[in-house]
Amino acid sequence: MENPYQPTKAKILKIIPETSNIKTFVLKPEDSLEFRAGQFVQLTVPGMGEAPFTPSSSPYEKEKIEVTVMKVGSVTSALHSLKEENTVGIRGPYGKEYPLSDFEEKETLIVGGGVGLAPLRSLFLALAKNIERYEKVLFCYGAKTPEDIVYKEAVLKNWQNLHPEKIHFRITVDKADGEWKGKVGLVTTTLDDLEEEIKDTEKSPVIVCGPPIMMKFTTFKLLDLGYRPPNIFLSMEKNMSCGIGKCGHCQMGKYLVCRDGPVLTYDKIKDIPTIWD
Amino acid sequence: METYFISKANFEALLREISQKFPFYAPRKKGDFLFYERIKPDSLENITLGEIRPIQPLKSFLIPPRRKVGEYFSQNLPASPGEKIILGAKSCDLESLKILDGVFANGDFKDPFYIEERGNIILISSDCTRAQDTCFCTLLDLTPYPKEGFDLNLSLVEGGFVLEVGSEKGKRIVNENKELMEKAGKEQLSQREKRRQDVLNEVKEINKDFESDKSFREIIKDSFNSPVWEEAVEKCVDCGGCNHICPTCRCFLLFDEKGKKGFSRTSLWDACLYTGFARVAAGANPRIKLSQRFANRLLCKFGFFPENLGLDACTGCGRCISVCIGKIDMREVVRDLRVTA
Repeated sequence: MENPYQPTKAKILKIIPETSNIKTFVLKPEDSLEFRAGQFVQLTVPGMGEAPFTPSSSPYEKEKIEVTVMKVGSVTSALHSLKEENTVGIRGPYGKEYPLSDFEEKETLIVGGGVGLAPLRSLFLALAKNIERYEKVLFCYGAKTPEDIVYKEAVLKNWQNLHPEKIHFRITVDKADGEWKGKVGLVTTTLDDLEEEIKDTEKSPVIVCGPPIMMKFTTFKLLDLGYRPPNIFLSMEKNMSCGIGKCGHCQMGKYLVCRDGPVLTYDKIKDIPTIWD
Repeated sequence: METYFISKANFEALLREISQKFPFYAPRKKGDFLFYERIKPDSLENITLGEIRPIQPLKSFLIPPRRKVGEYFSQNLPASPGEKIILGAKSCDLESLKILDGVFANGDFKDPFYIEERGNIILISSDCTRAQDTCFCTLLDLTPYPKEGFDLNLSLVEGGFVLEVGSEKGKRIVNENKELMEKAGKEQLSQREKRRQDVLNEVKEINKDFESDKSFREIIKDSFNSPVWEEAVEKCVDCGGCNHICPTCRCFLLFDEKGKKGFSRTSLWDACLYTGFARVAAGANPRIKLSQRFANRLLCKFGFFPENLGLDACTGCGRCISVCIGKIDMREVVRDLRVTA
């Protein structure tokens, strides 16, 4: 029988610094690992421990897998100290994917905050690859300062030119610097005048990923704008150990975030206590 | 199911026989408590088959407090030591295996170590012959004698035991030792029934103040914000003892180390009562208050598990009551929730 706790090797091909505390690791798993947008993997720093991450690369990319990591705890700090050519462990993918077919012919809204952009990038690339299937994509993103924007080159330039007829962007920063010519304000302000972009909020899906406080206020605003709880997809960040529904750490109400998420729709979780904490 | 009578002398012969074939564990009394011990073929004395459940829950055999679950980067799984017999498990503990099976042997990913150990264990259970004030299986519609989940079950009657076959594994042992037993007679079966009813009534009597029309499940379901939890934890010191001793609490933490050859991954028992159990790396903690963690423990048992497996993850074994240095009795907490709701 397979041992689901056992990681296999992945080589770090490249490390891309994104911001002062965020790096993207380009990995080549020894055994092929195919995931769908929304699923996550467990990365091991050998001998140190592991942590869950949703890949930030396109699920259609078969040769390598990218993971964007903010330095916040012991495993992420250890990851940040690794060098190109080093080996890490990887296992997965785990959890449920975004129901992309449900987004077809819909006006899809994506709202990201800070490093929450990482999993959204994977989703965005999956949507962009088959953009003809979707009515439109509006990508709203907020970072603390222009310096904190992840994938800056892509967000501010490359993606904007990808399918300008169908994919639109609203980028904001909480606090501008001298160079910044864009919007200033919390990410929720990108939802003002939403009717200019999204005609039918009642039928449209929205995907939100960011810090809990940002997700909370974004969700409340989305509800005010007419979005329906089953169409609000929230990335739940919970403590995970095993990733495979055994260890109990990510239990939330009747759900295990690793098994039933990590993305859960608001209708499922709205009555569970302390979901935003 | 097939029932046999085995005399005390023949039972000793049976133990001698099986203790030579398999590693063999049974309860022995130390002070007031029963502990599972490894029994050697040359020292079969002082095994206690009746009384109540031993101190250790069965999970100690299946998911030991510390178990190696990975050696990377190699594909060698630690080998299992093979079949073993556990004698003297009680009804409440057999019931707990339904929860452990539901977690570890089901779902998209299965725990190969658990499954192997589970397959290797031969369970010869026995009826409780008394109850103590912490026993409350009857409040959860269970009985102090096993109805299912055993390979063989023993019920103490005059001059020996009624032995009931519960599985193919049990049948194998019976078939190999048929000369030691005879078909149970009416008299022995009615004596078993009488003794069972006596202990059942004893448990019911102990719990008469906690009886209610409402199940624990119904009472606890929507109780997270009840003030009762705050009162309940006034005496809780956050030690996690109730988690560790509970036969259905199965939470664990994976821990990595660098070894001589490569790296190893170990699963360690964890406790949802601990402050950091649900804390994420960046510091956010959905259950920062002890009362929230205490509530969540029971909401897991009477909410999460009923929703996921259709079962309460509590078997009324009462270990959490016995172990608690703050003398918290979950029956009292549930009663308070009921009357305050």
